Amino acid sequence: MNIIVLVVVFFIMLFLKSSSLAPFSNPSFSPTISLGFILIFAFLVGKAINRFKLPQITGFILAGIFCGPYILKFLSIGDVENLQLLDGLALSLIALTAGGEMRITHLRKNVKAIFSILIFQTVIIIAGFVIFGLFGRSFFPLFSDKTLAQGFALSILLGTLATATSPSTTIAVITEIKAKGKYTDLILSTAVIKDFLVIGLFALSLSLYRFLAAPGKAIEANVLTMLLWEIGGSVLLGGLAGLGIVLYLKYINRETAVFILGVAFFTYQISHNLGLHPLMICLVAGFLVENFSSRGDSLIQAIEKVSVPIYVVFFAISGASLNLEALRRSWVLALIFVVWRGILKFSGTYVGAKVAKEDPGVQKHSWAGFISQAGVALGMAVIVERAFPEWGGEFKAIVLAVIAINQIIGPVLLQRLLFKVDEAGKKQIDS
Amino acid sequence: MKAIFAFGLLVLIAFLGSQFLFKRKKLFLPLSYFFLSGIIYIFLGLSLGKNGLNVLSPAVLQGLTPLISLGLGWVGFIFGFQLEYRYLRRFPQRYVELSLLQSLFVIGLAVAAFGWLLRALFPSEPSSFLYGMAVALGLFLSLNSPSLLNFASSEIPQKGNYYHLARFLVSVSGFWGIGGLALVASFWHFPFFESNVFNRGLVLLLSSTIFSIFVAYFFHFLTIKKTSEHDLLVYLLGLVFFASGTAAYFNLPSLYVCMVLGITFSNLTRIQEKLYPLILSTEKPFYIIFLILIGALWEFNLDYRIALLVVMLLILRVVGYSFPLRSFGKILRFSFPLPAHFGLCFLSSGGIAIAFIVSLKLIYPFPLIDVFVSVALIATVLSELLGPWALKSSIIKLDTEK
Repeated sequence: MNIIVLVVVFFIMLFLKSSSLAPFSNPSFSPTISLGFILIFAFLVGKAINRFKLPQITGFILAGIFCGPYILKFLSIGDVENLQLLDGLALSLIALTAGGEMRITHLRKNVKAIFSILIFQTVIIIAGFVIFGLFGRSFFPLFSDKTLAQGFALSILLGTLATATSPSTTIAVITEIKAKGKYTDLILSTAVIKDFLVIGLFALSLSLYRFLAAPGKAIEANVLTMLLWEIGGSVLLGGLAGLGIVLYLKYINRETAVFILGVAFFTYQISHNLGLHPLMICLVAGFLVENFSSRGDSLIQAIEKVSVPIYVVFFAISGASLNLEALRRSWVLALIFVVWRGILKFSGTYVGAKVAKEDPGVQKHSWAGFISQAGVALGMAVIVERAFPEWGGEFKAIVLAVIAINQIIGPVLLQRLLFKVDEAGKKQIDS
Repeated sequence: MKAIFAFGLLVLIAFLGSQFLFKRKKLFLPLSYFFLSGIIYIFLGLSLGKNGLNVLSPAVLQGLTPLISLGLGWVGFIFGFQLEYRYLRRFPQRYVELSLLQSLFVIGLAVAAFGWLLRALFPSEPSSFLYGMAVALGLFLSLNSPSLLNFASSEIPQKGNYYHLARFLVSVSGFWGIGGLALVASFWHFPFFESNVFNRGLVLLLSSTIFSIFVAYFFHFLTIKKTSEHDLLVYLLGLVFFASGTAAYFNLPSLYVCMVLGITFSNLTRIQEKLYPLILSTEKPFYIIFLILIGALWEFNLDYRIALLVVMLLILRVVGYSFPLRSFGKILRFSFPLPAHFGLCFLSSGGIAIAFIVSLKLIYPFPLIDVFVSVALIATVLSELLGPWALKSSIIKLDTEK
C-alpha cells in the first residue's frame, strides 16, 4: 500500500508542478508544498528502500536527489535554500542524541582505540593525498597550474577534507537500526571527536596554502585563538544548556519535546551568532545530561518524539543540495578520490586499531563506519571557493562530487558493518 | 532579523504562553477572560510588529508566510478531525439544522447590512470588492468558539439542554464559515479570472475538495496497519503540510482543504484515540502564534469608519444570534423553548475566527483587507471582553431557571 501511495503522491506532485498550472499558482508558497511533499515522499522511499536492507536515510537522500533541482526539479534551488533553515535544528537534535548516547564508562574503555584510530587515519589520509598530489599533478588540471609547494598545500587541504566523517549520518544510522556495542561506540565517538580535529587542521592548512601562495605573508596566528574560543566557548555553552535541560526535566518536566526543540533551535542560533560549534554545544549538553544526571533517558525519549520528521527533511534536503552538475563534470576524478580515500581510510583505521591492540575484527572492518561525508566537508569546500576564487570553484566541484558519492555509499557500508558485527537492534533488546 | 529566528521567538512565547492559557481560574472576574483567552497576545503581536518594535517586520512576516499557511492547515485539520459522524450523530438532527440556519441567517444579515454600510463608507472602492468584504464579514460572524464554554464548564452549576446545545453549535459552526470561505476563494479567486468565472470557480472548489478527500484516503491507507507513533507523526505532518501547501500554492484556503482532510480521515480511521493527544497538545501553541502574527500583521488604524463597522459587527452578532432563535426553535420543533437571550452565548468567536482572519489576509493581498482585519480584530477583542458576562446571562441563567 505504501508503494501505491508513494507513486500517486509522486504523480500528483508532477501534475501540480506542471507548466499548465503555473499561471494559477503562487510561487511564494512553493517551499510550503515542497516541504509537505518531500517529507512524505522521502519517508516512503526510505521505508521502501529499507526492505532491501539499506538504511532509510539513504532512501531520504536518494529521494532528495531525485526530486531536487538537478533531476525532477520539484524542489528549486530557492526551495532547498529555504528548507535548509531546518538544518540547524536537525544538527542540534542529532548532536544532543549523540551526547546522550555517549557514556563515560564506554568512552573510558575505548579511549585508546579512539585516539589511535583518529591519529593514524588523519596522518595516513593526509600523507596519502600529498603523495597523490605529487605523483598525479601532471595529470589533473587542479594541480598542474600550481607550484610544487602550492600543490603540496592543496594536497593537505584535500587530505583534511577527506579525513572528515559525517557524525550526523553516523548517528542517524545508529539510531535507525538501534545499534549498540563496541563498534557503535568506537565509530560514533571517533566521528564526533574527529570533527573538531578536522576543523582545526582545515584552518591551519588554509593558512599554510595562503603562506605558500604568497611567501611574504606569515601564517595567521589567530587560528589557534579562534580554535580555542570555538572549543572553549562551545564546551561552556554546552555545559549551560545541559544544566538547563537537567533543571527543566527535574522541576518542570512538561511538554519536554517542545522544550528540547526550543533548546536545539536557540542553541544553534546563538552558536551561529557567536562563531561557536553547534554540534559540540549540543553534544556536551547531551553528554552532561546522560552522565551527570538521572535524566538521560527522558532526554532521549523527548528527542525521539519529534526527531523523525526533522531527520527526514534534513537528509532529503541534504540530498537535494548535492550538486549533480559538479558530479557530472568531475566524476572521473571524484571516483578516483573516493576509491583512494577508501583505501586510505582502511589503512588508517587498520593501523590505528592494531597499535591500540584492538581485536582483528575491529582492525579489518571498522573502516566501513567512516566513509559518509556531509555538512562539515561541504562547508569547508565553500570556504575554499570563497578564499581562492581562481581555482576554488573547481576544487569545490570535485569535493561536492566526492561528498555526493560518499554520502550515498557511507550509510550503506555503516549499516552493513553494524549488522555484520551483530550490534543492530541491540539497544531495543537491552531496554 | 532572520525569519527563522522570529519563528523561534514565536514558538518560545507560544510555549511559555500555553502553560498559562485556559487554566482554570476565576472566569467571571473583570477582564479575567481577556487575559486567559490569549487575546492579550494580539497586542503583543502589535507591539512586536512594524507599528511597534519592528521585530516582526514586514520582511520577516513575508518570510514566515509558508509557515503560517502550514499552521492554518494544522488548525483546519484539528477542527475537521473533531467532526466525526459517530460522535455527531448522538445529537438530534435538528441541532445541525439549527446551526446551518443560524449561520445562513447571520451571513445573509451581514451581507445586507455591510453591503449598504460599506458602500456608504467607501464610495470610491469597486462594489465587487465591497460585496466581497461584506461576505467575508458575514462568514466571520458565523464563526464561534467552544473555548469560552469549555473554560466556563466548571463554573456552570447545572449543565442542561442549553449548555449541550450551545456546545454543539459553537463546535460545528466553523464548518459553515470555512466552507463559505472556500466558496469565496474559489469563485472570487485571486488573481481574478477574466472569463468563465463560474466554471473555473467550480473546478477549483471541486478539485480542492476531491484532492483533500484523496489525501485523507492516503493517510488512511498508510495507517490502516499498526503504525508506530513516529511513523504516524511523519504521515500526519507530511500529508497536512502537503495539502495545506497545495492549497496555498493555488491561493485557496489551507483551512478548508485541511478541514475536509480532517473530516474525511476522522470518519475513515479507527485510530482517533492515538491521534487526539498528538494533535490537541499543539492546539494552544498554534493559537498563540496566530494571535501574535495577526497582531503583527495588523495595520492599526482606528478611524470613524472602522469604529462604525465594529459597532455594526457587534450589533449584528447580538441581533443575528438572538432575535431569530425563537422562530428557529419553532420551525425545527425543539422540545424546549429557545429564548432570544440564549443567543448571547455566541458572542465569543475565538481561535477559529483568528485563523479565518489570517487566511483571508494571505489570500487577498489588497488594502481593503486591512480594514477587514482591523474590524474583525477589534470586534474579537470586544466580544471576548463581553463573552463571560453574556454567558452568565444566557446559559447559566437558562439552565438554572429550568
